[in-house]
Amino acid sequence: MQKKTHESINNRLALVMKSGKYTLGYKTVLKSLRSSKGKLIIIANNCPPLRKSEIEYYAMLCKVGVHHYNGNNVDLGTACGKYFRVCCLSIIDPGDSDIIKSMPGDH
Amino acid sequence: MVKFLKPNKAVIVLQGRYAGRKAVIVKSFDEGTRDRPYGHCLVAGIKKYPSKVIRKDSAKKTAKKSRVKCFVKLVNYQHLMPTRYTLDVDLKDAVTVDALQTKDKKVAACKATKARFEERFKTGKNRWFFTKLRF
Repeated sequence: MQKKTHESINNRLALVMKSGKYTLGYKTVLKSLRSSKGKLIIIANNCPPLRKSEIEYYAMLCKVGVHHYNGNNVDLGTACGKYFRVCCLSIIDPGDSDIIKSMPGDH
Repeated sequence: MVKFLKPNKAVIVLQGRYAGRKAVIVKSFDEGTRDRPYGHCLVAGIKKYPSKVIRKDSAKKTAKKSRVKCFVKLVNYQHLMPTRYTLDVDLKDAVTVDALQTKDKKVAACKATKARFEERFKTGKNRWFFTKLRF
């Protein structure tokens, strides 16, 4: 049951990478939250707890959903189709994906 | 998706001489200006927090302990930590960007904010804002 939802997150994320707008990385995630452009934040599970709390606090102020990805930053980078590690990412425009509609209910 | 860096938001300054001090946003420039092409805001903050007042203190002592020293500064958004608290004091007329141009205007702006902060402190509201952040 968990494997299935995990794959579906990966599929949705791949669709966002292809068709939507996103930013990767802590600095740009905070920037997108400050300018209220971010619609969903995804954080890897090995993100340092202080950084995780900080992103969650900003997201609470902006009323944006945060999804804790079931995998570390290496896995999240691979899920994004990148060859580097991604600890947190912000989805600005989901494109064709329905990740925004399905994820916050899940999380 | 809600903008939160708005006037009257309480923030904590993270960098610079005033790191660790609490401040309130007076005016925010999301798009930046020609001189500062990044998001920044004008904040009015507390340079020196009021001391703890106890029941034993005389009137003269409470007056002395309740003094607040203020600063006015333009700070980049990256150097602020927003909080969930707000402080609604009317500082828009006293604190403006051109108050930062010359020294005497800046001193006048700081004096005005000092008066407003002190009267707010004496009412006992917004107690979080006037307590020092321990770190």
